[in-house]
Amino acid sequence: MIGVPTALLIGTILLLALLFLATRGSAVAGSLSAKSDVSLLEDAGELAPCPPEFVARIFDSADWRFVARANSPQLESLFRRERKLVALLWVQQTSAAIQHIMRQHKEASRQSDDLNFSTETKIILLYSQLLLICGLLSVAIQASGPQHVRGLAVYADTLSHRLAEVEQGFRIATTGRQLHNAGSS
Amino acid sequence: MPCIFPPTRASIRIQRNCFGSGPEKMLSQVILWISVVLESLLLFRGFRQRLTSRYPAFYCYIAFVLFQDPACYFVDRWMHPLYTQVYWTAEFLCVLLSCGIIFEIYRVGLAAYPGTARMARVVLGLVFGIALVKALISDPRLWMEAPATNVESTLRTVQGVAIVAMVALFLFYSIPLGKNLRGIVMGYGLFVCWSVICLTFASLTSGKVHVLLAYLYPASYLLFLSICLRYLWSYQADKSAKPADPANRGYGRVADATLRRLQDARGYLGKTVGS
Repeated sequence: MIGVPTALLIGTILLLALLFLATRGSAVAGSLSAKSDVSLLEDAGELAPCPPEFVARIFDSADWRFVARANSPQLESLFRRERKLVALLWVQQTSAAIQHIMRQHKEASRQSDDLNFSTETKIILLYSQLLLICGLLSVAIQASGPQHVRGLAVYADTLSHRLAEVEQGFRIATTGRQLHNAGSS
Repeated sequence: MPCIFPPTRASIRIQRNCFGSGPEKMLSQVILWISVVLESLLLFRGFRQRLTSRYPAFYCYIAFVLFQDPACYFVDRWMHPLYTQVYWTAEFLCVLLSCGIIFEIYRVGLAAYPGTARMARVVLGLVFGIALVKALISDPRLWMEAPATNVESTLRTVQGVAIVAMVALFLFYSIPLGKNLRGIVMGYGLFVCWSVICLTFASLTSGKVHVLLAYLYPASYLLFLSICLRYLWSYQADKSAKPADPANRGYGRVADATLRRLQDARGYLGKTVGS
């Protein structure tokens, strides 16, 4: 039988989901159906809205060292503030680009009758993880400035390599299945 | 079987037992007959707008409740000893019928989206599977001896979880819901939500709180009927739902591209911050 905490939890989640559906459901659907003609597999290069040489310097310590050598607290403070804003903008843009990729994927996959549950779950998990990293980066930048987020970057990089191996396996499996399907049809 | 909660949605007996006669009894009668009027109106509009053929499970449920409420009322009045058994049997059938509404939301809402429908099948299968396993591993005596409210509360909770899963999928995949289906999801979802909370607390409370719940429960049903009536007054074609595009069948290709792009995004994040 259902306990009171479980019932309250489910009731609250259901209520929130319905409120969300009532407020955001129609707006999201409307905006998406208006954009339904976008190319589903386009790359568009949307991951680098800032020039690469500019992005590469956001978290670079060379600029910090250069400013520190000037021995001016005012300049340092100004530089810290400006660099934080730039870093936050970059995280925001990257997050928006990731959401754009996922939006295109959802548009394509919701009508695919050969959707694979485990692949879809993997993509959703990867997407959630990326958004979480962006959120953490944002919080870390706000809390201690862009110069102190290298630890998170190292973690992201390690995960990235691990996932690259999984993805490699997935590609091999997908290619194998496509070849098998092509052979049988 | 102890009758501890409103014997009908209009709470005829509990309120008569609790308050005796007077304005409270009249209130329960008013709730009952308003329900009957709203249900009749909903069915009338459904037939007139040919919505009954589009949402057969939903209208079957409404028709069943329309029959159940007065039938229970007359049994309570003229065959009183049979009342509890008749009420809970009808209520159990009613909950089973309402499972059809969940299936209908899935069937109609995802007809043009086979990909999301496939996800929904797996997710709903998991929800019902977990509920079944939990029911099987629990002591069978619990089910035999449990008050009817607990059984109904459990079934409504499973329905609630299923609705949450469906709404989550609708929102995640940005599935546009037509006005009519939106009304059913919103109205029935709110009713299930309130039922889960009310039925759980009903078996734990007594006195005035219990009586208050006995009024709030049927009131939520009136709210459900009002929402449905508003959204199902006339048929509205869902223009945003497009038939499945055969060009979108290559899921492997799409998923591969998405994984690659997300992977690139991850690498880009790590490379930039770590530079």
